[in-house]
Amino acid sequence: MKAGRVDLDGVDDVRELVERVVATRLREAHALTSGLDRRDKQGLHDFRIACKRLRYALERFAALDQSLEAIAERLAALQDALGEAHDRDMLLAILPAAMTATQRRLRADREACVDRAVANWTELKQLMQALDSHQI
Amino acid sequence: MKWLTKTIRREQRALERARRRFVRKPNERRLHDVRTTGRRFLSLLEDVAGISELERLRRRVKRAAAATDAARDATIILRLLESSVDGAEGSFAHPLLDRLCEQERIATRTACKELRRMRFDS
Repeated sequence: MKAGRVDLDGVDDVRELVERVVATRLREAHALTSGLDRRDKQGLHDFRIACKRLRYALERFAALDQSLEAIAERLAALQDALGEAHDRDMLLAILPAAMTATQRRLRADREACVDRAVANWTELKQLMQALDSHQI
Repeated sequence: MKWLTKTIRREQRALERARRRFVRKPNERRLHDVRTTGRRFLSLLEDVAGISELERLRRRVKRAAAATDAARDATIILRLLESSVDGAEGSFAHPLLDRLCEQERIATRTACKELRRMRFDS
């Protein structure tokens, strides 16, 4: 999924740069949360990539605004959970059909990873209200 | 914007350091480092594409990050398979484990070859 272009017209101040980048990446993540509800491979992958872009931006800008650090840490946990689910999807796609017990284990692990991601996202939504209202 | 110029230079130097370490002695840890450093830098360049004339650099960083994809995938899937095979199904897993080992070896060598040709310190 390609990163959207951030509208930086007229930006000549780092504070405004932070706000515009974070607002754009946050919007992209919100727009893809349906992937988390559907729990399908592609939807989860797209949502994970959007969260990764948001997390990288927050980590980078945390040097300028420390309040962003806590959100970036939670996003890292969310991304770990989604990454582990993605790894299981990739292995399940190539696993020999005869390995049914391993498949069952991987599917159960995958669902647990997605559950963890859903719980992380629920917590994050509250934390991110400050970003939604641009209070950075 | 001084902050942006300094940040771009810092991330560029970090990627060059990670690249050099990886091509000197490729291993899983160094592959991970060069990959994440590249992805972070790419994300910065995408974020500021509207005010920074660094399109050629962005394309080069994107190529560098993509060069590590296959090696990373093979490594991760291999480790996951090793740790999750059900005891009774070990014999079914052996051919896949062998194939993934070979993929990991070839993909790491290819990534190393591609990254050897790239430079990020200029």
